[in-house]
Parts: sequence; structure tokens; C-alpha cells
Amino acid sequence: MNLNFDEFQKANQTGGELDNIRIKNFDNFQKKGFPSKKEESWKYTDLKTMLYNNLSKLEVPNNKKTSQCHDEWLLKNFKHNQIILVNGEFVSSTFSFESKDKIKIKPLRVILKDKKNFNKIKELFDDQKNSLTSLNHALVRDGIFLEIEDNYSFNKPLVIYNFFNKSSENKIINNKCFISLGKNSKLDVLKCYKAENSIKYFNNTIHHYSIQENAILKQFSINNNLDNSYNYHLTNVKSHSNSIFENFLFSSGSSFLKNEIHCNLLGSYASCFVNGLILLNNEQHHELKTNVNHRYEHCKSSQLVKSVLLDKSSGTYQGKIYVEKEAQKTDGYQLSRALIFSENSTFNSKPELEIYADEVKCSHGSTTANIDQGSIFYLMSRGLSKKQANKMLIEGFLNEAVETITDINIKSLISKLLIKKINEIKFETNEH
Amino acid sequence: MLQITNLSASIDNKKILKGFNLKIKPGEIHAIMGPNGSGKSTLANVLTGKNGYQVEGQVLYQGKNLLKLPIEERAQKGLFMAFQYPLEIAGVNTNNFLKTSLNTVRKVRGLKELDSLDFLNLIKTKTKNLKIDEKILNRQLNVGFSGGEKKKNEILQMTILEPKLVILDETDSGLDIDAMKIVSEGVNSLRDKDRSFLIITHYQRLLDYIKPDFVHVLVDGKIAKTGCGELALELEKIGYGKMEAEG
Ligand SMILES: Nc1ncnc2c1ncn2[C@@H]1O[C@H](COP(=O)(O)OP(=O)(O)OP(=O)(O)O)[C@@H](O)[C@H]1O
Ligand SMILES: [Mg+2]
Repeated sequence: MNLNFDEFQKANQTGGELDNIRIKNFDNFQKKGFPSKKEESWKYTDLKTMLYNNLSKLEVPNNKKTSQCHDEWLLKNFKHNQIILVNGEFVSSTFSFESKDKIKIKPLRVILKDKKNFNKIKELFDDQKNSLTSLNHALVRDGIFLEIEDNYSFNKPLVIYNFFNKSSENKIINNKCFISLGKNSKLDVLKCYKAENSIKYFNNTIHHYSIQENAILKQFSINNNLDNSYNYHLTNVKSHSNSIFENFLFSSGSSFLKNEIHCNLLGSYASCFVNGLILLNNEQHHELKTNVNHRYEHCKSSQLVKSVLLDKSSGTYQGKIYVEKEAQKTDGYQLSRALIFSENSTFNSKPELEIYADEVKCSHGSTTANIDQGSIFYLMSRGLSKKQANKMLIEGFLNEAVETITDINIKSLISKLLIKKINEIKFETNEH
Repeated sequence: MLQITNLSASIDNKKILKGFNLKIKPGEIHAIMGPNGSGKSTLANVLTGKNGYQVEGQVLYQGKNLLKLPIEERAQKGLFMAFQYPLEIAGVNTNNFLKTSLNTVRKVRGLKELDSLDFLNLIKTKTKNLKIDEKILNRQLNVGFSGGEKKKNEILQMTILEPKLVILDETDSGLDIDAMKIVSEGVNSLRDKDRSFLIITHYQRLLDYIKPDFVHVLVDGKIAKTGCGELALELEKIGYGKMEAEG
């Protein structure tokens, strides 16, 4: 694998601080390489081997503009604002339903090139969670910069479309998405993913969300389209007092997807919800790692993850609630339930509580069970085929996660996408 | 309707049915009584198609080899078993399940599928007749239902699916007297010259409401005695002990 950093570096020089940041971070990455099972938070995924086996010719994309997006991929019958990214590059944005003077939207590449603006996001480059974060800092070329003023509630959700076309084949795509939500403001973000013709690529994205006092940010990350991609999505959230962060994850489409969500509750009465579903078949492997940091009093966090594993797929949930000494009256909840349909599929769950305050209410739990043959017999004895019975049980099981969504339009959209997804599943391996 | 010849069934090398014979003609009601563990539910399960049994012998249903049919086809062709222990199925909405089941069966039978409104009307009538609280329709299938509600839900499914051969496995057990009457009325309302019933019960009381044409006593995997309605009364008095000795 030759990432050709020098060439990239030459082509993307800004003459500013970023140049050195890139060099330093690429150095960091090279020292460690891609994560492997030796690292605690990667103990279920040997990304290094995975990439060498599947994307041995991985390279950094060149600067040639490759922006093409198919309209038929856009959501229909669902009023929304939109940002379109193609191969990780910012192509367009439309905020048809909003007061544009309340919103500052820029392609990240513009911010990266501009000294004054770059200072605003400079601290994002301090994050050194793992070698992929370093790699992202070194190779980031574009993404989203979005600032919303105080006291502005969006009228319609914002859909961020992530399209990948042939130009992404064998590429490593590094981008960042920065969203800052002012005091008392409100925004729903849906992230959708679609790749053309089952091309292979590696997408490494870092999201930074800053949620000011009393603001509400809801993020729905919908990875439902089957593709051959490998993805690492890191989300860092800073939640200030009284704010709400609601995250829903639909983790089902890509060959490999690891979502890592870090929520920092930085003011009292802040709350965060990380819920989602993982639905996998064939040889897919998806992971969700969460880390909720309670730093102040009276904060609340809740996580519900439901997973269904078919064929030879595997899934992982590593969830952590960390409660600092000062964070009294913390309310923390975490539950993972997985349903296994095949003896060749696995699910690993590692819920973790680390509590230093003494007056807290925290609970966690995790179950992994095989599909109940008795239930299938019961449904089939009422005329349903095995396939129908399986589908009904999967839908019923995962629906509990969908029910956590507080916005009814988005809930119904995601519910429809889930049913569509379940209908696409072939139940070959357990037909006998 | 149903002809069972020399049926044997074992599970994990344990023989449960040992040469069972029974013939049910259209319109007939047969009752099967017998001690705990004699194989009554096993018979019901084997007829319904549950996996895991080694089965020998012959079962003809409407002239066809029943044992070769997949579970769902048996149901689609009109076989219905009310479970002794209806399963709780988390996450599956009762109403949605009933509608899917009915429409699947209707489709196979060449009938038009019901839309939500037609189905709602149908289900409203049926639940009212069976004095079932409509609220349970919006709950998860059998989850947290009381024992009686579960049994009534089985009967509800029976009345909706309009089967040709009904097997009731101890549907009366755990029902209060009023519920037993309602369930019996549900069964009697379906009585028809083309529809047959196989009623598994421990209590003669049910047979006061649903008059059987024949009563069979199953002991240790085969029929020890067959008689008419009075046999049930007799059993009530003397118990199975004597029968086992005879069998
Ligand atoms: N999966 C199994 N493994 C082993 N033995 C089984 C299994 N299923 C049933 N049996 C045994 O088979 C015998 C018959 O069981 P069955 O449930 O058919 O009895 P039954 O006549 O319905 O009894 P009851 O009146 O108590 O309902 C019992 O001894 C039971 O323990
Ligand atoms: Mg029984």
C-alpha cells in the first residue's frame, strides 16, 4: 500500500499551519499503521489485515474534480434541505426551507485554505484517538463546515448525501464534518450513504458537533444500501448544559463499518441518546463503540442497540459510560440485545461502566440469543412461510430501536427503509 | 378428511406415539383424552408439522400425504392447531400478525387479500363475539397476555382463518367458566358438514358444550379405547388407571 503522501502534500499546500499539521500527523500514522487487534478498542477487528486483503492498492485521491450525482438517489416525498458530497467532496448545498442568514455553510476545503477561518477549527486537529484520526488530519481535503446561529430552529431536516462513484475505487477518502449549533437552536441531520456499482473504498470521516446551551441536535445515520466499502466514522460531540443530542444509527449496508461516538456532557442537565440497530448478513462486519462522558451534575444518557446477525456476519457493541467525581445525580442507561440467526454469525458486546461519583443511577445490560425455533413454528403454523416468519421476527425485534426515534416523520422514513432492507434479505443459509 | 395409520413418533430416541390409528370424516368432532405425557400434544405437533420428530406411518389429509407438506402449506390447506401453550412473540404486533396470516392464507386459497379497513371490520366483529378486549390487538403477540387471553387469541385465529380441520390442544385448560362457554360457542359457530375437529382435553365439562361424535382415550402413545360421548363421563368417574391396565 503506497499512500503517496508527499505527492498529496505538494498538491495541497496552503502555506499555513495546516502544512505542518499534516506532516506531523502523517508521521504519527506511519509509526502506528492501521489499527489491529492489539488495540483495546479494535480487539474485534483487524483493520490492518482487512485492508491489506481487500484494498491492497489503496491510494489517496488526486485533485481532479469528480462530481457527479444521480438524482434518483435523493429522497422523495420527504421535504428536506440538503448537502451533497461526492467521493467525500462538497458539491452543493440547498437550504430551501430555512432563513439563510442564520446559517453559515462552507465546503471544508475553503476553511482549510483560509488562515482566519482555519483557526476556528484548528483544535479539531488536536484529537489523537488512534492512527486513523492522525491519518484523517494528515489527508483531509474536504467536508462540511456548518454554523447555525443562536435561537434558530430548522423547519425541515438536513439530509447529507454521501455518494461514492467509480472515481472512489481503491481510494482512501478522508473528510471532516463540522457542525456548530448555537444556543436554543434545533437541527435534525440525516446522513445517507450510497455507492455506485459495488466499488471498494475506505472512508474515514470525523464528525465534530458542538451543541450550545439548550440546543437540540438529532443525527440519524442511515447506512442501509448494500456496498463493498470499508468505513470508519468517528463522531465527537460537545454537549453544553441543557442541550440534547439524539443519535440514531442504522448500521446495515457496508462490508465494514465502525461507528465510534464520543459524547462529552460539558454542562449540567445535558442529555444524550445513542440508539440504533445493526442488521447484517453475508460476511458483513459492523461495530459500534460509544463513550459517554458525564462531567457535570444532573446529566442523562441512554443507549439502546438492537442487532440481528445472519449468515456469516459479525457485530460488536462496545459501550462505555464514564462518570466523573463531580457528576452527581447522573442517570445513565445502556442496553444491547442481539439475535443470532446462524451458527456462523457472532455478536460481541462489552458494556462498561466506570463511575467515580457516589450518587448516580446507572444500569447496563446485554443479551445475545439464538432465534427461537418455537416462535418460527408458531408463525408458520398460521400459514406464514419460513421467510415471512423470519422477517416478521426480525422486524419486530429491531422495531424497538426504531421506536426510540422522537421525530415521527423520520421514524416513519426509517421504518420504511428497514422494512425494505429486511425484504431484500435472502434467507439461504438457514433455509433447511 | 384425515386418516392416520400406524403413526409412530419419537424424539431423541424416545418413542412417544406407538402405532396410532384414527379416521376423521368431514363434519365429525373427535375428542382425545388421556393421562399427562401420553402423547396428545405430540400428536398435535406432528400433524401440524413441527420439526424434530422421527415420524413413521401414514397420514392422509384430504387424500394427500400430510407428512410431506411443509408447515405453512398444511396451514394454508386448512389445518389449524390451537396451541396448548401459545408462544409469546416479542416485537410482533398482534393485529399485524393476524392480518399477515389471514392474507397469506387467502392469497393461497385464491381469495382477494383484505385491505386494512376490511380487516378492521372483520376483526372487530370476531373480537366482539369472543369478548376479547380489542386493546390486545395492538400489543405484542401473546406477550403478557393472561392465560385465558392467550387461549382466546388462539380461538380468534381459528375463527379468522376458517380452517377445515381444527385441533384444539387443551384449549379449555385454564379458562374460567364464562370463557369456556364463549370458546365453545366460537367452536360451535364454526361447526359445518365440511369441517372437522380434534379436541384434546382433560375435562368432560368442555364436552358438555361441544358434543363430540367420538371420544378416544390415548394411553402410552396409542388409542386404548374409543367410545361415544358417554365414555368421557365414565372416565371422569373411574380415571385412567383401569384403562392403562387394559391397554
Ligand atoms: N423434546 C422432547 N424431548 C424429550 N421428551 C419429550 C419431548 N417432547 C415431549 N417429550 C415427552 O413425550 C411425552 C409426551 O408428551 P406430550 O406433550 O405429547 O404429552 P401430553 O399427552 O400432551 O401431556 P399433557 O396432558 O401433560 O399435556 C412426555 O413424556 C414428554 O416428556
Ligand atoms: Mg399436552
